Amino acid sequence: MHVPPLFTPLPLAIDPVAFNYWPIVLLLTIAVGFAVLVMIGTHILGPQRTGPEKETTYESGVNPVDTARKRFNVRYYLLAMTFLVFDVEIIFLYPWATTFRQIDADSQLATMFVCRILFFLLTSVIAYAYAWRKGVFRFD
Amino acid sequence: MMTDRIASLWPEIVLFITLSIVILLGLSPQAQWRRLTHWITGLGLAIALLLSLYAPEVTGLPVPALAQFIKPAACIMGLLLLLGMSAVDDRLETRLAQGLKFDPLLTTRGEFLAFFLLSLIGLMLCTSATDLIWLFLALELTSLPTYVMVASSRMKNVGHEAAVKYFFLGALSAAIFLYGFALLYGATGSLHLDEIRAALVAQYEETGSVSVLGLMGVILSVVGISFKIAAVPMHFYTADVYEGAATPVSAFLAFVPKTAGFVSIMLLGGMIVGLGEDGQTWPEAFRVLLWVIAVVTMTVGNTMALLQSSVKRILAYSSIAHSGYVLIGIIAGPGLWAAGTGAAADSSILTSNGFGAVVFYLLAYGVMNLGAFLVLACLHDPERHQDLESLDDLSGISRRHPWLAGAMAVCSLSLLGLPPLIGFFGKLYLFSAGVSAGEIPLVVIAGLNSAISAWYYLKLAGLPWLGQPSAVTDRLVPTPYLGRPAAAFLSAVGVLVLMVAGAPIMRAGSEATACDWGGAASVAATTPSPIEAADQRQSMLPPDDIDP
Repeated sequence: MHVPPLFTPLPLAIDPVAFNYWPIVLLLTIAVGFAVLVMIGTHILGPQRTGPEKETTYESGVNPVDTARKRFNVRYYLLAMTFLVFDVEIIFLYPWATTFRQIDADSQLATMFVCRILFFLLTSVIAYAYAWRKGVFRFD
Repeated sequence: MMTDRIASLWPEIVLFITLSIVILLGLSPQAQWRRLTHWITGLGLAIALLLSLYAPEVTGLPVPALAQFIKPAACIMGLLLLLGMSAVDDRLETRLAQGLKFDPLLTTRGEFLAFFLLSLIGLMLCTSATDLIWLFLALELTSLPTYVMVASSRMKNVGHEAAVKYFFLGALSAAIFLYGFALLYGATGSLHLDEIRAALVAQYEETGSVSVLGLMGVILSVVGISFKIAAVPMHFYTADVYEGAATPVSAFLAFVPKTAGFVSIMLLGGMIVGLGEDGQTWPEAFRVLLWVIAVVTMTVGNTMALLQSSVKRILAYSSIAHSGYVLIGIIAGPGLWAAGTGAAADSSILTSNGFGAVVFYLLAYGVMNLGAFLVLACLHDPERHQDLESLDDLSGISRRHPWLAGAMAVCSLSLLGLPPLIGFFGKLYLFSAGVSAGEIPLVVIAGLNSAISAWYYLKLAGLPWLGQPSAVTDRLVPTPYLGRPAAAFLSAVGVLVLMVAGAPIMRAGSEATACDWGGAASVAATTPSPIEAADQRQSMLPPDDIDP
């Protein structure tokens, strides 16, 4: 059985004839371009008021230069775990989406596929509702 | 096909929906909605029980019928445990009654029940594993919630200490059996159990033995999983955790992770069953390993139990010892059922099917152990703010609580294996499977161990009746939560009822583990020992004829 290689070797990848990574190049360009654009935009448009607090590196509200071995507020962990729920959820959406494209749209299986992924998404809604009610998103 | 798999997972799906409702409802500010969570959990378990009884048989599983035994058993035990767990999760409720303002952050009820259900779902999923990843996830789904349940079941520091010990050893064991899975993948190039089996059979037919790498994979997996069953190299947590957790949670730990562990050992053992050198059931290294684990486990469990003064620690070590007994069934292997002649040998199920004896014993052990644990949860010492704990507390309780003392006597005598209680039949099946497999020294050691265990089981059974009541005994008050004594009595009644209904359940267990174990038939059928064993069994009475 012939198994296609998992990764294209580098010389082949940059071969201009066989190069089929243009979408990725485009994505990278957009990503980098957006970041550059925002930085230039804020520089031109934004007010230029500065101060020692504003000049420090942004570190989600904690002091950036200090020992890392200290107590963090437990909210970080709660948020991180909530993030993980959705993060993992999205990972599962990709294989679902690629498989779903191959299913005949009119067949019963397609309906079943949609229902299942909706059920799966519902579980994260439940997790979200639970976290909300529990006060994970409350920052007071 | 995948659709069939999902159709067989309806019990799990129902339990999952139940837990989704329960986890949200548990945060309701109204006390009556929060109280409803127990009922909803019970309803969900009952529906799951019905669904699992009428579940379609799924093709393509390594042991197709196993789920049909384990899933209903898990639901029934879940219902009993739920009854016994009343008020374990009530921390907030008592403080609310004292006038505290409701805060969703402080409730643990919904979470506790949700974790309880998740762990049961994990156990049920183990039975329908077809590949190593499924098996790993199911096993971890069984274990991870139990860490939280241990921590949140008691306010005291002992609970947290127990949970941390349990968690770290659990993580270590997961690493070990994951390494075993990795080696299995390396040896066979597949994660699917049937493909692994096929690859190992091919190796066996080529060279006359299973490859060292594959064997190491299975061995490491089993050693890692011995954490779940509390067998010896990984047993150190047992006493501390069972003592630190609330008593009903300890009963939970002694059934759910243990059953999941044994199911996994059977599935993994199914990879190499019948592939021993010279047509033995197991490769010699694997058999010796299990043999040593079994002997050391039962001996350590029983001798350590002799030294304890806390009843929960005694029951914890007894749980270790029972894992040793159950391993005899694993060593005996699926016996004649593997050779495909099991159905023909139906009338004499006393029994070469060690795996059938294992699943039967797990259910029996679950019931009787639950009863013994829950009796402790039924009595409360208001001065020390804890449930009945030490042997001294137990002394002479029959004066005030004869029914509880009776339930304790029934359950601990059954744990001892006193005929005609269910524990005796469980051991009988295990030991007869061991004898059919030619493991006579092992069975003799197990018999001696049962004799050792009589010392402490008889103490548990006799002290409430014969001991002098102490100062503690007089101040013990019955728990206000009626679910606990109800579950304790139901377990004691279960011990008595199962004793009558034991034979059909044993047959169900045998059928549940009946399959050709992925082609083991051709290999095992040439083995002389099961046939000789069949001759021996002719002289034994089938269990229908044993009059309890």
